[in-house]
Amino acid sequence: MNAPILELRGLRKSFGETEIIRGVDLALDAGERRALIGPNGAGKSTLFHLISGNLAPTEGSIAFDGRDITGWAPQRINRLGLARSFQITNIFPKLTVFENIRLAVLRQQPQPTAFWRRVDRLPGLREATDQLLERVRLHPRAATLAGELSYSEQRSLEIAMTLASDPRLILLDEPMAGMSAEETDYTLALIREVTAGRALLIVEHDMDVVFSLADRISVLVYGQVIATGTPDEIRRHQGVREAYLGEEVAA
Amino acid sequence: MDALLFGLLNGLIYGLLIFMVSAGLTLIFGMMGVLNFAHASFYMLGAYFAYTLQGLLGFGPAVVAATLLAGGVGAVVERFFLRRVHHHGHAHELLLTFGLSFIVAEAIKLLFGNFPVDYHVPAQLDGPAFTIGSQQYPLYRLLMGGVALVMFAALYLLLTRTRVGIIVRSAIYKPRMVEALGHNVQLVFMGVFGVGAALAGLAGAIAGAFYTTSPNMALEIGVMVFVVVVVGGLGSLGGAMLASLLIGLMTSLAVGIDRSLADLFALVGAGAWAEGVGGLLTLKLSSLSATLPFALMLLVLLVRPQGLLGDKT
Amino acid sequence: MRTSLTLLLGGLALLAALPALLSAGLLNAAVQMLIAALFASAYSLLAGRAGMLSFGHAAYFGVGAFATVHGMNAINGTGLLPTPLMPLVGAAAGLVLGIVAGWFATQRSGTAFAMITLAIAELLHALAPQLKGLFGGESGISSMRMPAWGLNFGSTTQVYYLTLAWVLLSLALLHFHTRTPAGRLTLGLRENSHRLRFLGYDVHRLGVSAFAISGLFSGVAGALQVVANESANYVVFDAGVSAGVVLNSYIGGVSVFLGPALGAALMSFFGYAVSDATQAWLLYQGVLFVLVMMFMPQGLVGLGGAAARGVSKLGAARAVPLLLLWLVAVLLLAAGTVFLVELLQRLCSQDYRALARAAATWPPVTMFGRSWTATGLATWAWPVVLLASGGALLAFARRALK
Repeated sequence: MNAPILELRGLRKSFGETEIIRGVDLALDAGERRALIGPNGAGKSTLFHLISGNLAPTEGSIAFDGRDITGWAPQRINRLGLARSFQITNIFPKLTVFENIRLAVLRQQPQPTAFWRRVDRLPGLREATDQLLERVRLHPRAATLAGELSYSEQRSLEIAMTLASDPRLILLDEPMAGMSAEETDYTLALIREVTAGRALLIVEHDMDVVFSLADRISVLVYGQVIATGTPDEIRRHQGVREAYLGEEVAA
Repeated sequence: MDALLFGLLNGLIYGLLIFMVSAGLTLIFGMMGVLNFAHASFYMLGAYFAYTLQGLLGFGPAVVAATLLAGGVGAVVERFFLRRVHHHGHAHELLLTFGLSFIVAEAIKLLFGNFPVDYHVPAQLDGPAFTIGSQQYPLYRLLMGGVALVMFAALYLLLTRTRVGIIVRSAIYKPRMVEALGHNVQLVFMGVFGVGAALAGLAGAIAGAFYTTSPNMALEIGVMVFVVVVVGGLGSLGGAMLASLLIGLMTSLAVGIDRSLADLFALVGAGAWAEGVGGLLTLKLSSLSATLPFALMLLVLLVRPQGLLGDKT
Repeated sequence: MRTSLTLLLGGLALLAALPALLSAGLLNAAVQMLIAALFASAYSLLAGRAGMLSFGHAAYFGVGAFATVHGMNAINGTGLLPTPLMPLVGAAAGLVLGIVAGWFATQRSGTAFAMITLAIAELLHALAPQLKGLFGGESGISSMRMPAWGLNFGSTTQVYYLTLAWVLLSLALLHFHTRTPAGRLTLGLRENSHRLRFLGYDVHRLGVSAFAISGLFSGVAGALQVVANESANYVVFDAGVSAGVVLNSYIGGVSVFLGPALGAALMSFFGYAVSDATQAWLLYQGVLFVLVMMFMPQGLVGLGGAAARGVSKLGAARAVPLLLLWLVAVLLLAAGTVFLVELLQRLCSQDYRALARAAATWPPVTMFGRSWTATGLATWAWPVVLLASGGALLAFARRALK
C-alpha cells in the first residue's frame, strides 16, 4: 500500500477567536478521486486555502507525497505538483484567454522568466496552450479578453489554468458552479479524463457529479470531517444524512 | 541630562503632531482602502489658511476657521473627485490624490511664493512654560502636545462611545451592511474624510506657527506620515500612535547626538581609519536625523512587513 | 499595421532631420525631450505594465546621472570607456539600485509599495547634500565630454544624435521586453499577482526583475542628461522629478507602449515653450493630469481612439463638426483657466501687494502684453465668459457625441 499523496493531521485554523477548521484528519491516496462535501460555511474553501498555501494553519500538519508542506509558500507547493482552482474566478481579466493559459503553461518551460528571447519563439509553448484551449472548448474565444467571458467560460478557463502545470494532485473548488446541464456533463467528462492517474480533491454541490465522479467522499461539517467513505457508504451514513443530505438522497 | 529631557519632550510632542495627521489618514485608509496622497496637503492648507486669516480674526479664531476650511476642502475632494474615480480601482485613486496634492502645492507656490511665509506664534503664547535646568521650555510646544492629546481623546471617545462613532466603525468594516440598515454610507464616508482632513488642517494651523510654513510642508510631513503608516501597520490606529511616538522620539533625540559611526569605530581602535575613509562613516547622527525614519521603515519591512501592529494578510 | 509602420518611419525620419531644422537652443530642448521620453517609458514598465506605482523614480535617474558623471571624470579620455558608451555606467548604477530598492519595495504591494518608493527617493534626497564627495553639494559635480571615435562631441548636433541613438536603442529593447516571457509575466503581475503564485511563480522575484529593468533604463536616461549637460546636481533627486515622470506618463497614457514617451515629449516641449511666459506652468500640468485621471483615464493617446469611435458611431459628417466643437470648447476652457490663474498669480505676488499697499487703489496688472485694471469688470468678465461658454459647449458636444 503506497503512502498517501496528501495527508492532513490534526489541522486547525482560527481567525482571531473564531475557529473554522477544528481538527481535520484526511488521507488521500495517489490517483484517488475524493469529493469534499458539506454545508455552506463548513470550511471547505478554507481547507483548500490551507492545503495550497494561501493560509497557514494554526495547528496541525500537511504532508504532500511524504513531505511536510505545512506553512510553505504557494509557489513552492505548486512546484511540487499540487495545483488548485478557485471558487471565485481568479484569472487575468485584461489579458486574452490565450494569454491567460499561456502564462500558466509558461511555467513548465526551462526558463519561464527569460528576458532575452521572444515568448512566441519558445518551443512547444503555443502547441501546449492550443491543446489546453481545445480541451476546455475555449479555442473560438482565444482572442477575447478573459474579463469579457461568460461566467461558465471563465470557470472553464480557471480549470485550464489549473491543469497547465501537469499536477499530481488537483484541487478543484466548485468548478461547475454556474454551468448549464450540458456544460456540466462536458466538464465532468473532461475532469474524469484529465484526472486519470492523478489525485483529485473536489468541492462540489452538484450531488450527481459528486456521486458519479468520486471514488470516495469526505463530509466536512463545522470544520471537522464527520465521515469518509464510498458514495454508497456516505449515502447510508446516519450522521451525514442528518447534517447535510436531508431527504434529497432518499429520492 | 537636561538635553535628554528636552529631547524626550520635543520628541513626544513631535510624535503627537505626526499622529494628529496620521490618525485621519489611517481612518480614511481603513475606510477607503486607498492612501490619500493629498492628506498632507490638508496639513499645509490648514497652516496657510490660518496664516491668511490670522490678521483678520486673531490667532485662535484663525486656527478654528482653518480647521473647518480644511475639513470643507476634504469633503469637497471626496464628493467631487474621489467618488468619481472610485470604480477605476485603487491605483487610479492613488494617482488622483497624488495629482491633487501636486496642484495644491503648486497653487500655494503661485499665490504665496516659493519660500516660507512669516506665520509665527502670537506674542501671548510665545513664552516659557517651565525651566529644565538652565533652559526654558517653550509654552507653545506644550500647547501643541496638549491639543494633540485632547484630539486623540476626543476621537477615541467619539468612535467608541457615541452612536455616530459606532456607525462610522461599522461602515469602515462592512459598508454594505451598514447601508442595508438604512444609514447613508456615502455621507459617512464624506464625513470621515472631512473630519480626517480637518484634523490634519488643525495640526497644520498649530504647527505651522511654530515650525516653518512653506510650500514644502506637505511633502516633509507627508513622507513622515507614510513612514508611520507603514511602520505602524496600515489601518491600525494604535500602530499609528506607537509609530508616531517612536519616530518623533528617534528624530528628536538623534538631533542632539553629535557622534558618527567613526566614533563607534574609535571604541575598537579603528577611529583613525574610519576618519580617513570619510563619507558615510564620518556623518554625524545629528545630520542624519532626518533619514532615520526611513531606516526604521526599511528595517520594519525586513523584519515585520505587516507593520508593528498590523494584520498579516 | 501599415499605417503605424509608416507613422513610425516618418517619425524616425523627422527625428533624424531635426538638427537641420532647429536652432541650437531648440535642439537642446529636443535632447531634453528625448531624455524625458526615455525616462517615462522606463517608468511605465513598472507602473503601467507591472502595475506597481512608484513615486520615487528620480532615485534611479539620479544615481544613473551621478554614476555617469563620476565615470566621465574617472575613466573618460583614458580610452577605457569612450564618451558614446558612458551611459552604460548609468545603466549599471540604475540596475543595481533598482535591484536593491526593488527587493525592499516589492515586499509590499499597492499603496504601501508606492510609499516605500517615495521614502527611498526622499532618503537619497536627504542624504545627498551630506555626502559632498559623492554628490558635490550645492554646485554639484561637473565633467567634460571627451572626444572619441573621431568626433569631439562639442556641438549640440553630435550630442543630439548620441542621445537619439541611445533613446532609440533603449526604446527598442524595452519594446522587445514586452514580447519576452518576462514581459508577459510583468502583465500578469499587474492583472493578478496572487494567481501567479498558484501557478508556481516567485512573484517577489518577478517584481524585483521588473523594478531592476525599469531602474536600468531610468539610469540610462539620467546618464544621457549628464552627457548632455556635463554636470550633475543633487536636485535631480527632488520629489518634483519623480512627480514629473508620473504626470508625463499618465497624461500620455500607459496602455500604449509609446504613450508615456509621447506624453513626456509633449509636456517637455510645452514646458520649454511657455516657461518664460508663465510661472504657473507646473500648476497647469497638474491640472491637466487631474483632468486626464478623471475624464480620460486612457491618457491623451486615448483621445485618438475615442475620436475614431465617435466617427464610426455617428459617421464622419456628423462626428467631425462635433469633435471640432469639442476642441473649441476645450480651448475656451483652457483659455479661461489660464486667464484666471495668471490674474490671481499677479494679484497675489509680493511685488504687486507691495505696490497695492503703497497706492490708494489697486494698480493695473500686466498680462499677455496688455494692461488690465485689477478691479475692472472687463478684466473679470473675460475668464467668466470664457469658462462659461467653454463649459456649455463642452456639455453640448459630449452629450451629442454619446
